[in-house]
Amino acid sequence: MSRQDLTPEAIEVSTTPAAALPRKQRKTDWAEILSLRQMGVYYALIILVDVLSLATLYLGHPNYLSALNITNVFYQASLTSIMAVAMTVVLISGNFDLSVASVAALAAAVLTGFADSIGFWPAAGLALAVSAGVGLINGAIVQFVGINAFIVTLATMTAVRGVVLIYTDGHSLAVQSPAAIEAMKAFESGQLNIGLVAMGGGALLLAAGLAHLLRHRASSERVTPFNAALIGAGIGALVLAAAGGGRLMLPKPVVYMAAFTLLVWFILQFTVVGRRLYAVGGNPEAARLSGINVTRYRLTAFVLCSLAAGFAGILFASRLRSINPAALTGAELTVIAAAILGGTSLFGGAGSVIKTVAGALLLYSLTNGFNILNLGANYQGLIAGIVLVAAASIYTVGGDRRRSKSS
Amino acid sequence: MREQNVREEQLMPRPPPLMRLERVTKTFPNGTVALRGVDLEIEAGEVHGLLGANGAGKSTLIKILSGAMLASGGQLTWKGAAVSWNSPRAANETGLATLHQHIPLVPTLSVIENVFLGVRGGWRRSVALQKRFDSLCDRIGYELDADRMVSELSIGQRQMVAVFQALSSGAELIVMDEPTASLAAGERELVYRAIRRLSRTEQRAILFVSHFLDEIMDLTDRVTILRDGQAVLHANTCDLDEARIADAIVGKQLVKLEQRTAAQTAHTAPASLQPRLELRDLATPGKVEPISLRVAAGEVIGIAGLLGSGRSELLHAIFGADSLASGEVCVNGRPIRRTIAGAVGAGIALVPEDRNRQGLVPNFEIWRNTTLPALKDVAWFGLMPLSSREHQRGRDVIGQLAIKADSPDLVVAHLSGGNAQKVTIGKWLYNDVQVLLLDEPTAGIDIGAKTDILNKVRQLADEGRSVILVSSEFEELLKVADRILVLRCGKYVAERKAHETTAQELLLLAGGQSAGHSPRDAARVN
Repeated sequence: MSRQDLTPEAIEVSTTPAAALPRKQRKTDWAEILSLRQMGVYYALIILVDVLSLATLYLGHPNYLSALNITNVFYQASLTSIMAVAMTVVLISGNFDLSVASVAALAAAVLTGFADSIGFWPAAGLALAVSAGVGLINGAIVQFVGINAFIVTLATMTAVRGVVLIYTDGHSLAVQSPAAIEAMKAFESGQLNIGLVAMGGGALLLAAGLAHLLRHRASSERVTPFNAALIGAGIGALVLAAAGGGRLMLPKPVVYMAAFTLLVWFILQFTVVGRRLYAVGGNPEAARLSGINVTRYRLTAFVLCSLAAGFAGILFASRLRSINPAALTGAELTVIAAAILGGTSLFGGAGSVIKTVAGALLLYSLTNGFNILNLGANYQGLIAGIVLVAAASIYTVGGDRRRSKSS
Repeated sequence: MREQNVREEQLMPRPPPLMRLERVTKTFPNGTVALRGVDLEIEAGEVHGLLGANGAGKSTLIKILSGAMLASGGQLTWKGAAVSWNSPRAANETGLATLHQHIPLVPTLSVIENVFLGVRGGWRRSVALQKRFDSLCDRIGYELDADRMVSELSIGQRQMVAVFQALSSGAELIVMDEPTASLAAGERELVYRAIRRLSRTEQRAILFVSHFLDEIMDLTDRVTILRDGQAVLHANTCDLDEARIADAIVGKQLVKLEQRTAAQTAHTAPASLQPRLELRDLATPGKVEPISLRVAAGEVIGIAGLLGSGRSELLHAIFGADSLASGEVCVNGRPIRRTIAGAVGAGIALVPEDRNRQGLVPNFEIWRNTTLPALKDVAWFGLMPLSSREHQRGRDVIGQLAIKADSPDLVVAHLSGGNAQKVTIGKWLYNDVQVLLLDEPTAGIDIGAKTDILNKVRQLADEGRSVILVSSEFEELLKVADRILVLRCGKYVAERKAHETTAQELLLLAGGQSAGHSPRDAARVN
């Protein structure tokens, strides 16, 4: 250390700001957090639900906000939500997957075709394996050959649908074996009482939120949006469970969807894997040069997406206990629409699975509302399209405003 | 001649200047004040230098000038008439063209199509356009192949295409935003020649923004220096020297690094001692020819080379970022796996050349960027990153590298160049780094941040790390490095001790003179 190429001034330059830097949190920017850009999908959902419940009330239709109807919307949205959550993961990683609906149809066809001969569970396992295989093909072509994901998955979407047609020979398949039908019923229909889970989970969230709050009080920091969300979610879960007297009956697909969403949310939000996934989408080159295996993360995202699609296909086949080769055609667009409504960026690096589920609920509330109000299905496409463009405009314009502020 | 001008000005009433800014202010919607009343006058035929540290308001001023942004207050006057441009197109039509630092050309179109991109007309190619193009070549004194695709051109040639474009629109004032920042020395000369020609023979005015004090001294007639949104100095260049300009930019006595002395560089470890980093026949086909090198602990190796000399490719090969590279890399005597993960695991870190494209995740905050390479250390059981520890680390980086940010929660896309660069270095400070590879860490950043970074590099080496530093500014290498290797066209051509050489010699060695082929150098290759 005898070599003094650092002049005294130089030392001062590099240490003064360190000393001057107070250990303070920036003020929480609530206006930004509650802005349309951040929370728009929740506002839209709340407004839509309000409008629909007022309309049903006024027109004397059965109340929109009945527990039965809400459960119904969740049930209808569950398959799309499962696929959309996985789609969000692919979008965050900076890719795109058009093949989900075809993969779901393939899984459904495999399940229906094999359930009679090898039983429900082995057939479901086979269906998942086939789906994962398609995901692996998607990911391998995109990552190793370097073709744009849009083109690759457009091709696999078409090809996999072709495989479904070949496999079914263009006819509907139906499950015959009573044992398989029983297993399907047990797997898909009926409801689960998650009252206790909701109570326990709610209490846990509330406790975590309060603990977080207390700790931050001690260090004289402000209420963070994070603990506000924790406390809010905790109270919400408790109220829901209490309103049913400790019983909260939900259809099984909704429970599967909720469990999957919470798992993915947890991984994205709190784990090293999640952070790296966002980095991979946010700037793949920077992630690579930080020692992250970009190829592995993107490949895994494709496999997860196809697995989720396969699972949705299994639920779909179990619901109908038969499969029509054209089933689910076009569903990939609804899935992607849900992710975009939730604010997921098509360029990667940004997105939230909870908001994606809110996006799916928004789309299905529209459908459901149209049915309840007898408005005719013809207008649905138009309205859904307008909502999508409006949402995308809010995200884009909001993003621009922030960008120009920064310069 | 300039003095004569001054005398003339005192005698007769001056015509209005080509462009005048009076008390121009800019406040952003979020309350940030970027400009606090800037005056600026640009005369026809002059090269006007605009300087300032990162964050001084240069970019904002340029955006207002070029019509990309409206001023919040003040007055813009063009040839004596007030103007208010609300789009770059309006500014263009009045006679002002802007050359941006990152050249916005269409890579899939030819040179001539790019030059006349804004010209309205029915045909893609016409004889008239070709004639105009040829006359542009004559006027600037530089020949460009009209039919080459822009994507095939070097960065220097692209810069010239942008100059052609500005001229073809008939601009009388050309704003050049750091036109030489990403250019190698030879390519810079091209731009200088074009600027001199435009101002002397064509009476065009040029507003030249740069961080390089030497080119400001060489090239400009007058300079304006911005600091904290105010013009702190207007002066004729001939009345100034580099030290005064630097003082005005920084606002305090500039910290200077001295060239390293023999005593300082004489610590190259004896051959018996194990080198910290050893390269054995490392090569990348078509980019880097086999090179072997031993770097001792605490040693800083400078790599001098021009653009295309294989300097970045060499660093990428060491880091395992190039799967085509062959050869062996040893850290502390042990060969490492030739992947990025292997290199990071062995304690090698790379600060890449292009911080925005390769170094940072733009929508991550400072803290999330700084913990990216070593997430497991700040995570609970190596699985769940703890935000409190990460914030602590972010604050630590801000302090250690004197980053101008009041909180680690700032998103890095909002940082200025120098501060963003510091984050790309800071993210490697926690990895138990043994070998630090730096690729142009001071490109396009102000002199204060530059000094901070170079001091930090020296400090990291003194703490026992080995550093390999690539820089286009050879003076920097002389100040920081112990040994300097010269690369040319992917080939190792010479090695010099920092205290035995000069920037001129390095430039000659790197720049294609045959000076590098003395027997002494040939013997040193291995």
